Amino acid sequence: MDTNGKLFKKFLERENKISDQFSSENAKKQHAKGKLTARERIDLLFDKDTFEEIDAFVTPATITSKFGKITESYGDGVIVGHGKISGRLVFNYAQDFTVMGGSLGTVHAQKIAKIQKMALKMGAPIIGLIDSGGARIQEGIASLAGYATIFKNNINSSGVIPQISVIMGPAAGGAVYSPALTDFIFMTNKTSYMFVTGPSVVKEVLNEDVTDDELGGAMVHCKKSGVAQMMFEDEEQTLQGVRKLLTYMPSNNMENPPVILNPDEIPEFNEKVRDIVPDDPNKPYDVKEVINQIVDPNTFYETSENFAQNIVVGFARLNGNTIGIVANQPKVLAGTIDINSSIKGARFIRFCDAFNIPLLTLEDVPGFLPGVDQEHMGIIRNGAKMLYAYTEANVPKITVILRKSYGGAYIVMNSKNIGGDFNFAWPTAEIAVMGPDGAVAIIYKRDLAASDDPVTLKKELVKTYRDEIANPYIADEKGYIDEVIDPAITRKKLIVAFEALQNKHVATPAKKHGNIPL
Amino acid sequence: MSIKSILIANRGEIAIRIVRTCKIMGIETWGIKTSAEPTAHYLTHVDKIFDMSDEYPEVLVFLDVEKLMNIIKETGVDGVHPGYGFLAENAYFAQRCISEGVKFIGPSPDVIHKMGNKTVARQIATKHDIPLASGTTHTIRDAAEAKKVADKIGYPVIIKAASGGGGRGMRIIHKAEELAQMFRLATNEAEKAFNDPSVFIEKYIQNPKHIEFQILADSHGNVVHLGERECSIQRKHQKLIEEAPSPALTPELRKIMGDTAVRIAEIVKYESAGTVEFLLDQNNDFYFMEMNTRIQVEHPVTEMITGIDLIKEQIRVANGEKLTVTQKDIKLNGWAIECRINAEDVQARFSPYLGTIEKMVLPVGENIRVDSGVIEGDSISPNFDSMIAKLIVWGEDRQTAIKETKKALNKLWIKGLKTTTPFFKTVLNNESFNCGTFTTSFIETELEVMHESNEEEEVLAAWFATLKYIDEREKDTLDQVDYEQGKNINPWVLNKRLKSF
Amino acid sequence: MITELKEKRQMRFGRNSKKELKKLIAVNTKRKKFEFTLPFSEHLNLNGKESEVLIKEDEKHGTYLLWKNKKYPVEVIYKNQNRYEILLNGISYIYTVETPTSYKRMRFLASKSESKKNENLEAPMPGKIVEILTEEGRDVRAGEPLLILEAMKMQNEIQAPISGHIKKIYIKQGQSVLKDDLMVEIHVGK
Repeated sequence: MDTNGKLFKKFLERENKISDQFSSENAKKQHAKGKLTARERIDLLFDKDTFEEIDAFVTPATITSKFGKITESYGDGVIVGHGKISGRLVFNYAQDFTVMGGSLGTVHAQKIAKIQKMALKMGAPIIGLIDSGGARIQEGIASLAGYATIFKNNINSSGVIPQISVIMGPAAGGAVYSPALTDFIFMTNKTSYMFVTGPSVVKEVLNEDVTDDELGGAMVHCKKSGVAQMMFEDEEQTLQGVRKLLTYMPSNNMENPPVILNPDEIPEFNEKVRDIVPDDPNKPYDVKEVINQIVDPNTFYETSENFAQNIVVGFARLNGNTIGIVANQPKVLAGTIDINSSIKGARFIRFCDAFNIPLLTLEDVPGFLPGVDQEHMGIIRNGAKMLYAYTEANVPKITVILRKSYGGAYIVMNSKNIGGDFNFAWPTAEIAVMGPDGAVAIIYKRDLAASDDPVTLKKELVKTYRDEIANPYIADEKGYIDEVIDPAITRKKLIVAFEALQNKHVATPAKKHGNIPL
Repeated sequence: MSIKSILIANRGEIAIRIVRTCKIMGIETWGIKTSAEPTAHYLTHVDKIFDMSDEYPEVLVFLDVEKLMNIIKETGVDGVHPGYGFLAENAYFAQRCISEGVKFIGPSPDVIHKMGNKTVARQIATKHDIPLASGTTHTIRDAAEAKKVADKIGYPVIIKAASGGGGRGMRIIHKAEELAQMFRLATNEAEKAFNDPSVFIEKYIQNPKHIEFQILADSHGNVVHLGERECSIQRKHQKLIEEAPSPALTPELRKIMGDTAVRIAEIVKYESAGTVEFLLDQNNDFYFMEMNTRIQVEHPVTEMITGIDLIKEQIRVANGEKLTVTQKDIKLNGWAIECRINAEDVQARFSPYLGTIEKMVLPVGENIRVDSGVIEGDSISPNFDSMIAKLIVWGEDRQTAIKETKKALNKLWIKGLKTTTPFFKTVLNNESFNCGTFTTSFIETELEVMHESNEEEEVLAAWFATLKYIDEREKDTLDQVDYEQGKNINPWVLNKRLKSF
Repeated sequence: MITELKEKRQMRFGRNSKKELKKLIAVNTKRKKFEFTLPFSEHLNLNGKESEVLIKEDEKHGTYLLWKNKKYPVEVIYKNQNRYEILLNGISYIYTVETPTSYKRMRFLASKSESKKNENLEAPMPGKIVEILTEEGRDVRAGEPLLILEAMKMQNEIQAPISGHIKKIYIKQGQSVLKDDLMVEIHVGK
């Protein structure tokens, strides 16, 4: 081809125009808000020189009405394409706030829908970088229809390919439902927010003054509402966090998760594990210490860290293989299960199940959180969510009972009879219908009332209860526990057990889908 | 009959300290294993262990008289050493031991009771002309009476809650005009804190030094003092550095104060080791504050300069033996400084810092003594005090002792926790500390920062943080993800998986 | 190859490095900054004097830095994202490590008048205060344990929801609290 000819010149002219559009002028505007441009974000997200853009030259739909105007631009405020993350194909769309506020017009929506469909066809993860003012008002109903298509694609892809949303600016109104339908939401602290109705509407309707950040900032969604899972202090770290999360996931629901072997040898016998759980059943401790001692060093990636902290969920690697961990956290609310923790746990379990990630449960649970609040807000139907999710999951499931395991909560936390493949217990385990104090109070109510020295009697009865009932050995003898193990060899036991389970398959009865109590 | 076996009703470094002397004296020691710290280091030192680790009591066994009496019966010991803290100054416990026919290593219950009660001790002192801060021994009813008393003893005065402690219900008044309001505040606070609005007034000693005298007394009426300890470096009544002798005392003053201390012991017919605490003001007038009827945390500094084993003397006295020394024999030799290495966050107002001691290298040397109840791998838990070790350094004079202490602190190496070490380095370099003029208000008035840090260390830390950051980011980037292995699915699984859709 | 790269301490972050990262900035809590140019060097220049820092480790001492013939015990005692608390020679230093871009962002966000919000810590459930681990006037960082609340026979660690300083403590050790009782007031800023 003649590179000095007319044809090639036209091509070059176009190329120049687009680079003008991404000139430093627009970049400055973003930087002035403490944000990066869509292109810079893509550069940070993908491996070096691997991102391929498509549909860069599409132009916005023309409008006929006289209401507002549409800025001439290429790409219509969104960059779509694919690239490699840690060497693996990933699809992406990144909204560009510098073009009409990243607002979603018809063409903008079509581009996103196109890349969503492509990702689903290829069975590759898709990441959306969201920084948009919402539906483009000028385009009216057409932009709403655009959103609808995106939502539909989100749902079609759900459970087939991992979908991650990264909120890096505003996401308001109906737009929030696309992230809500994806598997994980990341947010950048202080410069991103999500809400269905914004502060101005809140002010108008309720006359309450609230800022964007207070209404739907990263802090709010990661801590209070549980809408978002991850929060980072700046955009580079946010995107780095996305990259890291992806290394735990397979590309689609047919594959197994990637394997990353740890270069260092890890001793099979780890005495430190023995010292974490206090012998005193009422003393709190941090279950994350147990996790970090059991899994490959520095591989535990916690999600929803700040929401419902009485349960800890996250990914980790065990001998290089990804596992999902669900653990009660004795140091918060004594590790009881409440509405939020049940929902948090259930959603995580279902993600793992959908993407062939084996589940490890570390159990130390005194029961469900009692209270009028909890009962009235529906701990029954909400607690059922985790029970449902655990039972439904057919990936390999292993439980280690660290200490307490009482009543209904024992059943929920992947007990043998709801389908735990291997159930281990530490010698500190107490498995029973209820804690010693409760049990003694009920069974020996009369004796205690009649006794001259109820305190001593109660102490004796509690001791008898622990010796006779609330220990791991009864359950072991009856087969509800496969083995009582020395905490120091937990890691080795788990590696062997997961290896034995790697070809697990359970046939579920044919059904359209179950009816999880939502 | 002399003691053959001792129950140590204590834990930590003092338990180990007691064992050390018992070993020399050929006495069998019993330690108590608790569920709160079943693997504690002191248990490796005692000869025999009474195991209570399967009980989870609400009250720690060291505070539970009945349980301890049980243990005494079961172990068949003939002596109990209470150490310091816990039940060391509990007259009831001492009495129970005696009733049980077991020797309580400490003074008699009667003396413990007299000296433990502030007003009783004050009355005894007044009766025998022991110098006391002037003031009332009875309760002040209203502001008018308070003013009358204050005018008489002269300002500044301090109003103290009668049933008080810990600084609450306490007000310092510098001028007569302030009195009425302060009186009201103090009574209100006392009422709220202790359910008792009664207060009394005392002359306020401005910027005193805290000087205490170690005394030893036997049942034959012999009483000696082993010189003083200077304990003015305090924070919220918590001693941090102690030294012996004090740079503030002349031989004459030492004699007068020492004699007074001995006299107090004689008056109450004291037996065993004890400590008489004084406040010393800027005119070198001293005032009796209180008497501690136990072995003190800071006893090693006295041992270092006198060469006398205080625990040994305590046991001998309990056996009814005579003291090995007379006042003439006691020579103060050189200077000793003790630093309490606690797991505390000096940068956060000395709050306890919980965690695990990952590495601990303690300085060693001819003139260095370290008393510690923990080893590498042990945790500092909220159940007990935060002491890691007491570092005691001897030098032939004060300057040498300071210099050697600094050297020893630089050799002290603890990882995993924050400790009070940076604070001591700062104090030892402080001018006022070095010339010996400091008072109990040293920390508030002389120290701008509790820890010295230099620019070099700040930069090094920044450098290290950056390095850690780079390492981590690099590791994330360079992780070689093996996707093929993940895709390599057993055909059996793949087949089933495909069919299930 | 990996070790080679490590030795050079090249910073790429898997990014399209049209602009190679030139430096990193460690910022302490008083916003004092320490810049380190990349590639990262073991030679530390201070007051015109340059000297190599060596990271050593042995069984007896654990990890330490050797600089100008002096040993400095060093460890990371807390880490969250890019925030590091370094304990060096017994004194702790808190830094966030920033790239030039994130440093700019940090400055920008700091310049915006931040709404200083105070937090009232309320009892999450009825129970008894077993222990108070903090005191009035103390600076706390988010996540730091403040008190132990015993409920349903279980001790729960109650943590500071935000970083700030303890303005007032409304509870006493041994006191019983009801759900939503005000326990601690934390203020942001001085």
